[in-house]
Amino acid sequence: MDSSYRVGIDIGGAFTDLVAYDSTTKDLRWVKVESTPRELSMGVVDCIKRSGIAQPEMEQIIHGQTVVINTIIERKGVNVGLLTTRGHRDVLEIQRANRRDMYNFKYKKPESIVPRHLRIEVDERIMADGTVLKEISGEQVEEASKRLVEKGVDAICVSFLNSYVNPENERKAGEIIRSRHNVPVVLSHEVTREWREYERFSTAALNAYVLPILDRYLSRLQSSLTKDPRKCMAMTSDGGMVSFDFARRFPIYTVESGPVAGVIGALGVAEAVGEKDIIALDGGSTTTKASLVEGLNPEVTTEYYVERDRFRPGFPVMVPVVRTVEIGNGGTSIAWIDEVGRVRVGPKAAGADPGPVCYGKGGDQPTLTDAYVVTGMLNPDYLLGGELPIHRDLAVKAINGVAAELDTSLEEAAEGIIKLANENAAYAIDLVSVQRGYDPRDFTLIAYGGSGPMFAPFIAEELEIGKIVVPVIPPGVFSAWGMLNTDVRHNSIHTHITRLDAPDALETLSRIYKDLEDEVTGMFRSEGGESPTAIERYADIRYYGQEHTVKVYVPSGALSAPDLQTILESFHATHEREYEFKLPGDPAEIVNFHVVGIRRVQKLSLGELPEPSGSQDPLLTDRSVYINGGYEELPVYDRTLLTVGFSLEGPAILEDPTATIIVLTGQKASVDRFGNTVIRSVVR
Amino acid sequence: MTVNSTSPFTLEIIKNGLIVASEEMFYSWGRTAKSPVIYEVLDYAVGLIDAEGKNLVTQAPGIPGFTGVLDFAAGEVVEMWGDDIRAGDVFVSNVPYQSGTHLNDVTLIMPIFNGGRRLGFAVAKGHWSEVGGMHFGSWTSDSTEIYQEGIQFPCVKLYVGGEPNRSIVEMIRYNSRMPDFVLGDMYAQVASLKVAGRRVNWLVDKYGLETVLDAMDRLLEDGEKYARLKMRDLPKGTFTAEDWIDDDGITDDPIPVKVEVKITDDEFLVDFTGSGKQAAGSINSAYPSTVSGVRETYMAMIDPYTHPNGGFFAPLKIIAPEGTVFNPQRPAPTSTFWEGMSHAADIVWKALAHVSPERLSAGHFLSIEATILGGVDDRTGTPFAIVEPQPGGWGAGYDMDGESALVACGDGETYIASSEVYERRTPILVERYALNTGDGTGHGTHRGGFGAVRNYRLLCSEASFTVSAGRSKFPCWGVDGGMKGTPNYAVVYRQGEDPMRVLKVAALKVRKGDVVSLVTGGGGGWGDPLKRDPELVLGDVVNGYVTAEVAREVYGVEINKETMEIDAKATRDLRRRL
Repeated sequence: MDSSYRVGIDIGGAFTDLVAYDSTTKDLRWVKVESTPRELSMGVVDCIKRSGIAQPEMEQIIHGQTVVINTIIERKGVNVGLLTTRGHRDVLEIQRANRRDMYNFKYKKPESIVPRHLRIEVDERIMADGTVLKEISGEQVEEASKRLVEKGVDAICVSFLNSYVNPENERKAGEIIRSRHNVPVVLSHEVTREWREYERFSTAALNAYVLPILDRYLSRLQSSLTKDPRKCMAMTSDGGMVSFDFARRFPIYTVESGPVAGVIGALGVAEAVGEKDIIALDGGSTTTKASLVEGLNPEVTTEYYVERDRFRPGFPVMVPVVRTVEIGNGGTSIAWIDEVGRVRVGPKAAGADPGPVCYGKGGDQPTLTDAYVVTGMLNPDYLLGGELPIHRDLAVKAINGVAAELDTSLEEAAEGIIKLANENAAYAIDLVSVQRGYDPRDFTLIAYGGSGPMFAPFIAEELEIGKIVVPVIPPGVFSAWGMLNTDVRHNSIHTHITRLDAPDALETLSRIYKDLEDEVTGMFRSEGGESPTAIERYADIRYYGQEHTVKVYVPSGALSAPDLQTILESFHATHEREYEFKLPGDPAEIVNFHVVGIRRVQKLSLGELPEPSGSQDPLLTDRSVYINGGYEELPVYDRTLLTVGFSLEGPAILEDPTATIIVLTGQKASVDRFGNTVIRSVVR
Repeated sequence: MTVNSTSPFTLEIIKNGLIVASEEMFYSWGRTAKSPVIYEVLDYAVGLIDAEGKNLVTQAPGIPGFTGVLDFAAGEVVEMWGDDIRAGDVFVSNVPYQSGTHLNDVTLIMPIFNGGRRLGFAVAKGHWSEVGGMHFGSWTSDSTEIYQEGIQFPCVKLYVGGEPNRSIVEMIRYNSRMPDFVLGDMYAQVASLKVAGRRVNWLVDKYGLETVLDAMDRLLEDGEKYARLKMRDLPKGTFTAEDWIDDDGITDDPIPVKVEVKITDDEFLVDFTGSGKQAAGSINSAYPSTVSGVRETYMAMIDPYTHPNGGFFAPLKIIAPEGTVFNPQRPAPTSTFWEGMSHAADIVWKALAHVSPERLSAGHFLSIEATILGGVDDRTGTPFAIVEPQPGGWGAGYDMDGESALVACGDGETYIASSEVYERRTPILVERYALNTGDGTGHGTHRGGFGAVRNYRLLCSEASFTVSAGRSKFPCWGVDGGMKGTPNYAVVYRQGEDPMRVLKVAALKVRKGDVVSLVTGGGGGWGDPLKRDPELVLGDVVNGYVTAEVAREVYGVEINKETMEIDAKATRDLRRRL
């Protein structure tokens, strides 16, 4: 029988994961191999080889990679030259002039990826209303691009002021350069049509910076995977996928593809179990990521930055990204004593190398994993189903160091470290919910990643979240599985300030949405002729005179006056939820128009998976575990052997090869009809 | 030391909870305020103060200029109201000499109670857009008495028993030119105080009253312990510096500033005795502002990344004689207090830079160069206003070149607005926004960063322009043979007239086609320019930061303009000669 697999491949820092599913035979496979940082495509090819799936058996390959983000973080992109409007040569260097690291009197901004001598001004000017104040000088473009090529640039970026309103001058410059030089040319308006010159120039320059590199990587990968380029899809940061060809032109759209795939996977699970409002919790080895999704519709924003944290401003990347927050708290976070003798956990982490002390690979700083091993919550003998031997004695020694400094018992120290770390993880949830006007108790927590299922019950207890789902898919390869749930998506976002109370508002809206829809349909057409199966419209709206915008859903089809009213009402309500006030008498204006074209793909439904068979006793053993300040005998179950309908009350431990779940007192765990583990708090 | 039996982990969790309480308060006000000066400019700060109103427990400032002016306000409440501080009260205060900065910065203070016991105060201070006074927006550079700068709130009850005090609310409504915005921001400010109150009470419910109070003590103790520990690494001795403030905007006379910093094993004593008398113009830095300015530099030196509190600031003692520019008395105007305050931060920095090179750079452009350009666009009938700081050059370090085009030390996560946004919103064409390489910078072995030039051409009939540029007559300082920086100023290009260079002007008329150019200076250099690595000089020439002439004359590096290579021999000769 012919098999046809859809294959999701996710490259992470430490591992490359593959999940493949054949809808005809219902065969689901997964593979995890170590990543090959020097030549990442080798890891991918190795993964496929190990999966045992032959080239012709692959119907579609969906790939999420870290090539783009790593190229930026490691500053290993190509030499980019910039052509820009006269008077504005230093936009990439001035940036927004903010000092995020505000008490550091020796603060340095991130250095512009285009050095000053490769930034050349030309005469041209577009006004804010789109009129051409000064036509572009073809001679100057020729001259400038020639100089850049002579200086050895590998890509040229053209970024003009107000090109988001009228891209004419950028287009003309692009034509001239393309006709004379054989280097990739990136025009800022092609990458984003939103206003704010630094953010747009930065996005375009980064696109140019990584373009030749992702191009080479994807070409090499494609040629080793299949002869049919239409089979190859790249995961994008908005939770969709696009053809390799599209990704080659706009590599910056794939910058956050890995983490976002997990959120899409969580949505697949939510849909199957009938939940609409979820918080996806991805507990990794060094960080925890959280994303809140209301009504199964992930929030896509273009306010995204690479390398941004509390003290670093990072580079703005104005492309659609599913909103997530990340904090420095993971399974290998290090516990340490600060200068005044107080205990802290993270944000430093031991990572995969050397890893926690208990791995015996040379790590000598006590980590969260070591604390879990000491308490007995984590299996003190092995992890990863036996593949990773655990040295409890080393963990004890490491945690004893902390205990001695704090003058506590070993177990108290271990449990204390766990509590501090869980407090940190709960803070990530707080950031995506409470601080944005949501009550986390209204949401279901979907937990995955190596340490997500371990943190989740503690967080749920702390934040009074009623329900957790740990998906049946092995948490360690969950993101790759998420890739099998993505649709083909294309976005068009234009800044176009439009007052909703203007007499011609209805015509303006209809016209702009039609233009954007044509643009999106065109993108699908250029991808091989298929049209989108759904079109969604959004608008970023604010009160006139205010800065904050909120994203509002806009009805599709021909717009009428009542639709305007619906948009307004939904704007007032969303504004009130996010900012606690509304101004119903004030005029509102659209800042950005946003259209998403979607081509739905046949998804992997959880219900299609074979039911776990109940031939073996899932109870492995009873283990003495230190919890709530004392030792208790806890039953330990093999999660992979639990059958539908199984249920127990905590405290108990559920283990599977890639993750451990600790069910707490006051919580009840059961297995739903798909094999997911569902944990609820028990009302007493 | 407190003796307690609570687990060290629980105490850490509560400590974190108290820090989160400040952060939540910060987000809450930022998220729900109506005015961009709060949610975009982040011109506000919040924090928790202990029950006695003495010590900052935790804080979340949006800008460093607000580092720890919060404790003064809580102290004022305790002093004035004593036993009459009750649950449900909220106090309002903005008088600079007691607890404030300028009248626009209004502090609200709410006691936090659990049962009958006062646990502390939640305090939020921020810029109210309009509090009356002689000009729209209240702050101005031409006031000579505080009475011209707006309404004064002398620490009175804004809320009683959890309800707004109507008498005060109506006073605010009638004294502000923008009552809707101001009251909207005020209610958001009150709500943020309640967020902190709830979080602290939640901690008490979960961990117990004594444990939470214990954790507060512990925070202060740890802060102090940490500061003293870090002080071991500081240079000990007496360090002095002198400098000048350009003028006060009313007269042309420069104002001397002077400091003696004495660092011992357990004290960091800053004495401003000898600094000039309080000024006739609005640049005066009231004592709380002066403390804030000094705390900025203290934090930068000791640890820029710590969560500071009253304990952390305990070793710091500040003397500023009454009646001076650093401790002005009624009725001194203070509405551009940041001009004086930034000099308080800067002079301490100047005294210590050469002995604390790991943390401190040479001097930076310092002046916020606050700018207002506004009016009514007669083409559409829409009012518009640009109100902004300018970015400028920062000083070099012993190990690095200074950064170019950054906001001044009193500002932090402050974003300079986008040219495209201005052009869409206002009748202004941004003809140029670039590094100010033309005026040079403080050259040195490591050179200062460059200032910026921003040129606005007016497209409507008329507008009004106000600017306050300091550090123009006395540019910022270099260290160890590094050259001083370059001046801040503005130039108005009126059609048919000669360009007009201005430093401090209020409400100057500009007309269609005129150009206003805001210029900031470069930062100070560090070390002798002749010792700069010729390769770095070459890089600067290639990138157009400095000219080949400057490379030759200042750095003693001969660069062949054709090949863009260093002429090694000529450079050797040149450097020997210079």
